[in-house]
Amino acid sequence: MSSISLNNVFKRYGAVQVLHGVNLEILEGEFAVLLGPSGCGKTTTLRMVAGLEDISDGEILIGGRIMNEVAPKDRGVAMVFQNYALYPHMTVQKNMEFALRPLRLDRSEVERRISKTAEILELTRLLDRKPALLSGGQRQRVAMGRAMVRTPDVFLFDEPLSNLDAKLRTQVRWEIGKLHQRLGTTVLYVTHDQVEAMTLADKIVIMRDGYVEQVGTPEEVYTNPKTIFVASFIGSPAMNLLKARAQGGVLKAKDFSINVTDIFKKCVHEGQEITIGIRPINVSLCINSSETSLTAKVDVTEYLGNEALLNLRVGNLELVAEVPAGQRVPVGSTVQIEFNNEAMHLFDTASGQSLK
Amino acid sequence: MHYISKRQRVLVYVVLSIVLMVFLVPIYLIASSSVKPTPIMFQKPHAFLFLPTLEHYYSVFTDRPFFKFILNSLIVALGSTAFSLTFGTLGAYGISRIKHKRMNDVAFWILSMRMFPPIAVVVPYYIIFKTVGLLDTPLALIIVYSTANIPLTVWLMKGFFDEVPSTLEEAAAVDGHNVFDIFWRIALPLVAPGLAVSAVFCFIFSWNEFLFALMLTGSKAQTAPVAVMSFWSSDAVQWGRIMAGSFIILIPSVIFVLTCQRWLVRGLMMGSVK
Repeated sequence: MSSISLNNVFKRYGAVQVLHGVNLEILEGEFAVLLGPSGCGKTTTLRMVAGLEDISDGEILIGGRIMNEVAPKDRGVAMVFQNYALYPHMTVQKNMEFALRPLRLDRSEVERRISKTAEILELTRLLDRKPALLSGGQRQRVAMGRAMVRTPDVFLFDEPLSNLDAKLRTQVRWEIGKLHQRLGTTVLYVTHDQVEAMTLADKIVIMRDGYVEQVGTPEEVYTNPKTIFVASFIGSPAMNLLKARAQGGVLKAKDFSINVTDIFKKCVHEGQEITIGIRPINVSLCINSSETSLTAKVDVTEYLGNEALLNLRVGNLELVAEVPAGQRVPVGSTVQIEFNNEAMHLFDTASGQSLK
Repeated sequence: MHYISKRQRVLVYVVLSIVLMVFLVPIYLIASSSVKPTPIMFQKPHAFLFLPTLEHYYSVFTDRPFFKFILNSLIVALGSTAFSLTFGTLGAYGISRIKHKRMNDVAFWILSMRMFPPIAVVVPYYIIFKTVGLLDTPLALIIVYSTANIPLTVWLMKGFFDEVPSTLEEAAAVDGHNVFDIFWRIALPLVAPGLAVSAVFCFIFSWNEFLFALMLTGSKAQTAPVAVMSFWSSDAVQWGRIMAGSFIILIPSVIFVLTCQRWLVRGLMMGSVK
């Protein structure tokens, strides 16, 4: 087990800078997930930790050792690739053996490790097959097995589930979680899927355009997003974001005005452009209109079983409410809605930063 | 071919038959003439039915040390093939993997060597080999043929290496393997079909080459094609022997191509990356 540190890491391809000073601390045994949309630099960051990309500036430490000039083979890391990267001319057994070759273990130890890993990952009866004869899920497990046999200090995962179907993805995700609990190895895991990040991570690192937007536990990034981007990226359905301006103690927009709680009043100044963030679950229907309620028209309803999503229109404004399935109303009807002010997030529109 | 009409199908077979004739009639003529008694060799109309004789084969081996010439040819062809595959593959791997904006220029420069007309360099080669004492040795031909075969191998193999997913090599690198291990155990096994194709091209070129072999060898390192042509002298053209010699020359090429054929399989990369 090793910790990983990134100190002010930059990556440039010629004149194009793709990482702009990333700082990150991943503790020993921690499961850290790099989360972000395509092109945010998460895979580049992972590949730099693996040693597959040069570091333009800054330093990367694994287990307290500076790794900038260290070859991938000497970093004590094992990586699971997005496309699995299994050696097609070798059987499952040989794929794992090949990963062990550089360790120069004796034959019995090689056999022991492979059979143990195969048992954990339920690969025992597939050991003699070549990758072409395996299903997607099996290939994925072989890729994990090949990384596991080496008992590395750090596991690197590059979107390992993105090629699996939805059901298998849930299952393998669960297996990865169990595996981390069992082995306790430090993990750096890249994904663009927030569900994977939320379910697996001890620490989520949300990236955007080569910057780290926020680092925190899944709960922290969900309940306390530091920026508009994080607020909109985490949570499904996505948080409603409403533009307003602070005016005389209330937040005013063309189609509504909202009284904000005292806590927020302290950090909002008159005339400030504000983005209000409210999760769909915190938008509720109310029977009677009141001072705090808004009148909305139901555009679309989506029935999800236990709950339903209502796509609402308040004037020109669109927002989503998540309500118990029993409360859903016909499309086209007019309803009164209310925001749970306690759960409301306020952001400075100009900087995108949270005002909490 | 259920999607073409009967008329089109007939046309396809007619064209195929013509193409086959173009390739097979010369081989038939060589084979039949090599066992035809000399008096009826050029008889008109063409003699399809005759009592075959092995006299030409017998005299090919008794008049000249033809076994030695075949051995020379084999040494030169296999030597040049091995040399070209070794260095051509290494070069191709480098060109395929090293990312540099001028790498395409380097690749084209290598290919351009193949465009040089051989006749233009025969005399310089002759002078060079005479100077270094390699005239009339198999090594001289191995070197000359490799200068033609290496560029071809580099180009062929570059294409095959480009198809090997880079993540396979990255996975091996992270697993702790050095670049030689990765080349030898990952990249090379996956380009086996390319090696087979290159080997066939190199071997056939070296086996059949005539001009350099004629100019750079004498009695010691003479190759089979040159030996066959020696049956064509100013005094007489010994057609029977020429045909017998030619037929013997055909055989190793066919054996070599058939041996390589089993490596010409597709789908080696299947299952590696999704």
